[in-house]
Amino acid sequence: MSEADTASNNGQPNTFVDYLVLNASRFAERPAFRHKDHGIWKTWTWAQAFDEIRSYSIGLQELGIKPGDKIAIVGQNRPRLYWTFCAAQAIGAIPVPVYADSVAEEMSFVLQHAEIVAAVCQNQEQVDKVDSVRGELKTLKHILYDEPRGVRDYDMKNLHAITEIQEMGRKVTASKGDDAWRKGFASHKGADIAVMLYTSGTTGRPKGVMLSFDNLIKSSMAANKFDNLNEFDEIIAYLPLAWVGDHVFSYTQSYVAGYCVCCPENPETAEHDRLEIAPTYFFAPPRVFETMLTNINVRMEDAGNFKQKMFSYFMQHAKKVGEPILNGESVGLMDKLKYKLGEFFVYAPLKNRMGMSNMKVGYTAGEAIGPEIFSFYRSLGLNLKQLYGQTEACVYVSGQPDGEIRADTVGAPFPGVEIKIADSGEVLYRSPGVFVGYYKNDKATKETKTKDGWVYTGDAGFIDGEGHLRIIDRAKDVGKLKDGSLFAPKYIENKLKFFSNIKEVVAFGDGRDKCCAFLNIDLTSVGNWAERNNVSYASYQELTQHPEVIKMMGEHVDQVNQDLASEELMSGSQISRFLVLHKELDPDDGEMTRTLKVRRNFITERYGDLIEALYDGSEEKFIETEVVFEDGRKGAISATVSIQDAQLYAPTHAMKEAAE
Amino acid sequence: MNAHDTSFHGRMDDGIEPGKALLHVDNISLSFGGVKAITDVSFDVLKGEVRAIIGPNGAGKTSMLNVINGFYHPQEGSITFRGEKRAKMKPYQAASSGISRTFQNVALFHGMSTLDNIMAGRTLKMNKNFFWQMWRYGPALQEEIEHRKVVEEIIEFLEIETIRKEPVGTLPYGLQKRVELGRALAAEPDLLLLDEPMAGMNLEEKEDMSRFIIEVNQQYGTTIALIEHDMGVVMDLADRVMVLDYGKKIGDGLPEEVQANQDVIDAYLGVSH
Repeated sequence: MSEADTASNNGQPNTFVDYLVLNASRFAERPAFRHKDHGIWKTWTWAQAFDEIRSYSIGLQELGIKPGDKIAIVGQNRPRLYWTFCAAQAIGAIPVPVYADSVAEEMSFVLQHAEIVAAVCQNQEQVDKVDSVRGELKTLKHILYDEPRGVRDYDMKNLHAITEIQEMGRKVTASKGDDAWRKGFASHKGADIAVMLYTSGTTGRPKGVMLSFDNLIKSSMAANKFDNLNEFDEIIAYLPLAWVGDHVFSYTQSYVAGYCVCCPENPETAEHDRLEIAPTYFFAPPRVFETMLTNINVRMEDAGNFKQKMFSYFMQHAKKVGEPILNGESVGLMDKLKYKLGEFFVYAPLKNRMGMSNMKVGYTAGEAIGPEIFSFYRSLGLNLKQLYGQTEACVYVSGQPDGEIRADTVGAPFPGVEIKIADSGEVLYRSPGVFVGYYKNDKATKETKTKDGWVYTGDAGFIDGEGHLRIIDRAKDVGKLKDGSLFAPKYIENKLKFFSNIKEVVAFGDGRDKCCAFLNIDLTSVGNWAERNNVSYASYQELTQHPEVIKMMGEHVDQVNQDLASEELMSGSQISRFLVLHKELDPDDGEMTRTLKVRRNFITERYGDLIEALYDGSEEKFIETEVVFEDGRKGAISATVSIQDAQLYAPTHAMKEAAE
Repeated sequence: MNAHDTSFHGRMDDGIEPGKALLHVDNISLSFGGVKAITDVSFDVLKGEVRAIIGPNGAGKTSMLNVINGFYHPQEGSITFRGEKRAKMKPYQAASSGISRTFQNVALFHGMSTLDNIMAGRTLKMNKNFFWQMWRYGPALQEEIEHRKVVEEIIEFLEIETIRKEPVGTLPYGLQKRVELGRALAAEPDLLLLDEPMAGMNLEEKEDMSRFIIEVNQQYGTTIALIEHDMGVVMDLADRVMVLDYGKKIGDGLPEEVQANQDVIDAYLGVSH
């Protein structure tokens, strides 16, 4: 490749476009991107990707994009949207990915705050959304789109297809060559801002986290080394582009290691597409693993008798020896043979079904994962690990090294990361990945990052005896009941969420005399249960209030209470009353963040009446709730929600827990 | 539909100006023994419009579609399609001349996948002979690849990527209807006949289907004749509405006109005698 000869600044890549140039020569024929389009996987090699990105980048320059301009990226995982990152960075512009499913007004805040000059949209839906708030966006000059369906007939000023822009770039390259373009990024420094990622904001307005090339490249190098990732790996990109995890896994780490990023056809087919790709490196929030396990269980319930027996027999065996085998501990010969047999009959087909046959390492993060779910996957021989990360740290704060994996920790500090615990119990870290600052928000930057580079995570946790970090809850959420016993809502919520029938939980109790909770049923799992048990229902709402469903939820709560009773710190915060919510908590209604974390304060306000009812002893309560549809229209649903008492247990923590 | 679209145009080019009559039905009468299903009905369908046929149960709506589609042969009257008066023809001849349809009760191949069902809609466009087809080799394979591309465009259009490989028998009813529409579209018809496309659907499915019908009509310029019971849908979708009752035409015109027509109101609500 002649293009790649001029390579990077003194051989050491400073920016991602440097890496692109390098990859186009060292991995010229290796796949860089794949995209399933019209049912067929299309592949671009690094050499081809270089060509596409160069023409795109030069085209943007022709369009009038200047260094320092901000370019929004709105849409799902598409190769052209990923190319936008590098194409923008090559000409000194700063890409700002935005959550594609946010409604127009949410999006408008970010676009205004970031002073967006151009917005790159995936399709008509996103173009419409950006256009609907165009009046508020003083700086916006251009809208670009990837998929022409429906947009083609638009008579809109300054609306361009990405392919048109690339065409412009190609013409320039053909007539004048690309030297000017190359000269442009040769002077870019590692300390320059690479990207701005807006945090989803569990509290208040989103903040724009500025990350430099150095931040991202150093973190990516460390992470690639940690898990031994190289140009032969493949991942599937299906998480929101605006989320730091996707940015690091599907963009920065891929450029640094040279591995291939595969984009599914659309979010609904992602699971199926994963099966076809069988990625070697896989990241998913616990929710995805939970859903997958629920689906497997649901399907097994529907399977024939023989299959069911075989499945439960071998899963029992995997539970016994699977994890020890994965951790490299010695296991009896008979057990090993039986595990091999199980691999043939059950584990391998199951892994194939989940698209994990080739998985080298998998991560889960963002929330705590149920210990049973975690060990289910590990017992199948999948190297699933947990990590703890933040946007402000380019993801990596701590992670589990191979062989030191336990369900209840988030691992040891990552290479290059220092962790300390403040007196208040809050976790702090310092690393090369620590962000530059929040965009146009020095106050927040000062509150979060100390002068010597320590960052407050906002999470309460401690380092356990083996040097692993354990997270209890958001620091500000940890509270006390009136009687002084510790109340860590997330801890309780997670315990409940580990039941496959429960999708979401919100616990209350800070400053009150007892602990109460809202539950959301999991429709897949409870729906299937209803089908098998001849429970008929007309709507989600009706199902939630079905006496049998409420009884089932009561049993789960009872179990958790028994569990809590055995734990020294938590026995005081057993759930005394609960209710099953009549609607699913939804980011469109503002009840959750776009990364699906519960927004506690918002819920406290919105469902104040229900919380009151939990504490005043009433047996049911009528409630009307406003809902927002994805197009911004509003509607209301109302229901009478029944409220249940749960049994409390005397503390029994004399048992083995003391050892902890 | 897409920049790389070379083969799928949504419909054949028939050389008729939009707004001119694509189909003329003149004085049709159809009877089965002593039962008069349709009596002396005339109407036309203009190119590029959405034409609705409504009427109470047993009014003869489906019979009318069957006549247009060549499945029934009327005793009296004539049909002119694309300016040509039609002789007695078989349904497959109607299909190859540019008329395709969906059915009131989904008539798909239940054991076959969505993809194969829509592919079946391309059969009339496959030219390679039986010998090649049998081996699925050489020119037949090449041809199948070409047609597969078209089918994939339709799958994208109808947003059914997730069920591409699912056997249609396992799909919910609303999706089956969508697959059926896909199969009808695969023939790239000039005139698309839809027999109760929304029957048995929930609100969301109806909204989706309405959107697809409008998009087919606007994007490809396909002329659509549809039978529907859901008045809300008919009034929203149709450019013109014809009303049948006991095999006779009792109203014809713009949706608002038909809605105000006393005969139509009587036919639907019944009158005291």
